Amino acid sequence: MKKKLALFMACAMTAASLAGCGGGSGSGTSETTAAAAGGETTAAAAAGNETTAAGAEAPAGGEANLVMYWWGNQVRNERTQAALDKYCELNPGITIDGQFAEWNDYWNKLATMAAGQAIPDVLQMDYMYVDQYAKSNLLVDLKPYIDNGTLDVSDISENTIASGTVDGGVYAIAAGINAPALLYNKTLLDENGITVKDNMTMDEFYALCKEIFEKTGVKTDIAYGIANSWSEYFMRSYDIVPFGDKCMNGDEATWTPFFEMYTKGLDEGWLLPPDVFAEITVGSVEQTPMVYNSTPATQSWCEFYNSNQLAAMQNAAPEGMEIGITTWPAPDPKKSGYLKSSQFFSVGVHTKNEEEAVKVLDFLINSSDANNILLGERGVPAPADIAAEVAPQLSEIDQKVTAFINDVVTPNCSPINPPQPDGASEVYDLMNRTIEKVCYKQLDAAGAAAEFLAEANKIMAGK
Amino acid sequence: MGMTTKRTIGKIVYHVLVCGLGLVMIYPLVWMIMSSFKPTQTIFTTANQLIPSQFVFENYANGWKGFAKISFAVFFKNSLFISIIATIGTLISSALVAFGFSRCKFWGKKILFVAMLLSMMLPAQVLMIPQYLWYQKLGWVGSYKPLIIPYFFAIQGFFVYQITNFIDGIPRELDEAAKIDGCSYYSIFFRIILPLTTPALITSTIFSFMWRWDDFLSALLYINESAKYPVSLALKLFCDPGSSSDYGAMFAMATISIMPAVIMFICLQKYLVEGISTSGLKG
Amino acid sequence: MKGKRNLTFKQFLCKESIAGVVFCSPFIIGFLMFMIVPMGISLYYSFCDYNILTPAVFSGAKNYIKMFTDDEVFWQTIGVTFYFAFVSVPLRLIFALIVAMILLKTTKATGFYRAAYYLPSIIGGSVAVAVLWKRMWATDGVINTLLSAIGIETSFAWLGNTNTAIWVLIVLAVWQFGSSMLIFLSALKQIPVSLYEAATVDGANKWHQFWKVTLPLLTPNIFFNLVMQMINGFLAFTQCFIITQGKPLNSTLFYTVYMYQQSFEFYNTGYGAALAWIMLVIIGLITLLLFATKKFWVYEGGF
Repeated sequence: MKKKLALFMACAMTAASLAGCGGGSGSGTSETTAAAAGGETTAAAAAGNETTAAGAEAPAGGEANLVMYWWGNQVRNERTQAALDKYCELNPGITIDGQFAEWNDYWNKLATMAAGQAIPDVLQMDYMYVDQYAKSNLLVDLKPYIDNGTLDVSDISENTIASGTVDGGVYAIAAGINAPALLYNKTLLDENGITVKDNMTMDEFYALCKEIFEKTGVKTDIAYGIANSWSEYFMRSYDIVPFGDKCMNGDEATWTPFFEMYTKGLDEGWLLPPDVFAEITVGSVEQTPMVYNSTPATQSWCEFYNSNQLAAMQNAAPEGMEIGITTWPAPDPKKSGYLKSSQFFSVGVHTKNEEEAVKVLDFLINSSDANNILLGERGVPAPADIAAEVAPQLSEIDQKVTAFINDVVTPNCSPINPPQPDGASEVYDLMNRTIEKVCYKQLDAAGAAAEFLAEANKIMAGK
Repeated sequence: MGMTTKRTIGKIVYHVLVCGLGLVMIYPLVWMIMSSFKPTQTIFTTANQLIPSQFVFENYANGWKGFAKISFAVFFKNSLFISIIATIGTLISSALVAFGFSRCKFWGKKILFVAMLLSMMLPAQVLMIPQYLWYQKLGWVGSYKPLIIPYFFAIQGFFVYQITNFIDGIPRELDEAAKIDGCSYYSIFFRIILPLTTPALITSTIFSFMWRWDDFLSALLYINESAKYPVSLALKLFCDPGSSSDYGAMFAMATISIMPAVIMFICLQKYLVEGISTSGLKG
Repeated sequence: MKGKRNLTFKQFLCKESIAGVVFCSPFIIGFLMFMIVPMGISLYYSFCDYNILTPAVFSGAKNYIKMFTDDEVFWQTIGVTFYFAFVSVPLRLIFALIVAMILLKTTKATGFYRAAYYLPSIIGGSVAVAVLWKRMWATDGVINTLLSAIGIETSFAWLGNTNTAIWVLIVLAVWQFGSSMLIFLSALKQIPVSLYEAATVDGANKWHQFWKVTLPLLTPNIFFNLVMQMINGFLAFTQCFIITQGKPLNSTLFYTVYMYQQSFEFYNTGYGAALAWIMLVIIGLITLLLFATKKFWVYEGGF
């Protein structure tokens, strides 16, 4: 043991004396040593990339090293990378480095890159952020490329294009279509002889919640903690787009019904109490009260999610629980319904090869080659012909989703609200906290509406 | 009751107590390991049940295959590289600085000490963007440099302060004697103080390695290529709140991921208390 | 001549004041190179309207004024953070010291025990801990089951109650006492055996030895741990971020998590920076206070 120790000390000392030199003679020495250790691989790899790109014979399509950045899980990472590889194979001279991160990390990193003026060439975008990124001049306006034919949108519906439009420019193209969807425990309802109809009104929904609670004791979760799009959806029935120009639309009277929903549920006993949500991670499919909890008092019979999450929810459900899908209820379902883009693809404004980046985007959206690899993992493909081509290859659940979108939502929908402006995330946080206060019985519905509007207007005015 | 029976009873009580509390301590780890052997869809629905009703190993296979053809072995290699080099840097630089703080009087020492403390008081998140901009200016973004080089400059005040504190506890008579023998500060440091600092260096090694291993924030910001991600960042890729997450694979890889730290701890912990310090300090 | 000049340079290097600077040079360079600029930029941001995506615009003390006059949540998070730090840190240190004393004895099993007690710190803020911890404190979780087993029948919602939710986080923080324990362990072995021998000769029992020898000689390490853990306690982030996210009703919203939300979720990054600098002032003052008390209770000088 003594020998080992001596050896350790000897190593430590040699190392220390080396560093001593470096430290003593200024930063130079140790910096280069460490740089060599840390950076060599990087430099070599980068150089390698460049030479391959430069060395290849120039193909018709030009040459470029592009970066594409997205968020997602293992399946998406796998498929997207494969699609990109396919593109490189078809277009010699182009290399695309696929980079991926988890949702929260993705936005932190993207914001940081924006601060450093280094947004990736092609990136995945979300409805929540597209307005802010477009208005900050971080995304390329794709309109000219649509006009000159580089980006083909002839098979994509007007509504879908509109969802990525900010101030007249097209900044994002839908990577997949989905729709708000009420996912419910079909098994439980079947056992009790309860049926759910599509396009429920709020009153029908309340009656259903009450009936289920009385028959089974199972309660209801109304988008607790994730009321963002739910509030938009609900207010559309009253012809109100929540976000105006540096203010909120609607007054206390129009917002009160939204909060009344929760007080009503509490009074009648069918709403899940707020402490249930303190014990789960809100927003994680696997931990929704519907599939995670096992006693009726903490279970919900439905969840307010999106159509493309049906597969995930079914996956997370305990054995023997079949998950059904229907539309979100609304005071006026016809007015509220909309199709949305599950996520977008955009081109970052700092790209050196705008044209090549747009071509990659076109490939991902429009080519059979790409979509036969991606297989609608991001939602139903936006171009109708591609969607039809991919459909037969989908899993049973995804086919159910496609049918839901085509047969249930499409006939009953109107264009989606414009993307939310800067300040929306703060307002949504406020809204979820206000709902929390209502559920903890600190506010009544009218009080909640008043407090919410006052605070939200203050937030929006400051933007 | 005899002295020996009393002692035996005492021993038994000691072990029962320590073991019992130990179980509470390792329960979450056991839970994680057990979960990694459950079929991934059942992890949450059976969270209250510790032992899996069927043991499956597919989570390990699924996890190990990684993402987009980059296997987890690559992430491990990256993590090991970053953590080991950065830890060596931390140890060397912190020990040097600590000796300066503890044994030398010089102009500006108080200011330096305050600067060191202050640098620990800003939340890491607030420095994210400024640091990114600065490293971008240095041209270091996209490489391991921001994850390694700063640690060769005693950037973590915690270690400097910890080792300083430890050196303060070493009797000064030892240096005085050496000084009389004609030793310079440099030879005092290398010949006398450094060997006596072993326990503090061991704890620093354990902490530093673990912290570097777990650090995902700087990896997220400064590393672009997916093939260069460390384990800490890769582990998060199994979860996507918007779609399905593979918690089984994540727990499987998380289990493997803590092994280096655990093994290192088990190997090093005995030097913590069996160090040569006692013999050196006696008398 | 040459030899003489070398000698003087060597002598120069060996002067105490110069040697000190040489030893400290890594930190001096590191601080100037890696810390001062980012810190300066963030201080500048705190006086700006900044949303990351567009360049910062100077706005004077607006952020600071808003914080103190027009932000209820700010005061709430200050309250939560003080409560958390002042309760969890002492508990953690006491626990760490007791366990370090117990595990000091070298038996065949202690190596294993030490590893077991250090494990919680290794798995730290992982997803597994987040999931499990919530599961344990759930209405039908392990804690309530154990309480029922000893006759307290309850289905109390620990995490759903504004008074108890913070305690779930405090217990988690105390449970991860490993790093303080290690520092105590290495310090305990630094205490010369001769002192204990002398105390035994004087007729002191174990209890007396602890109070008269161990504790006083440990005070420098207790002080170090106290300062570090206080800083950590005020900057605590993970526990709240992965487990409660501030729920219920912001009763567990840590200051740093609020700062993070402002900076990266609401894109009020300038405001977030201002929050951070106020935290620095608060921690700075508390550290200063601790250093001011040092001379009353911390044992100075060698053995």
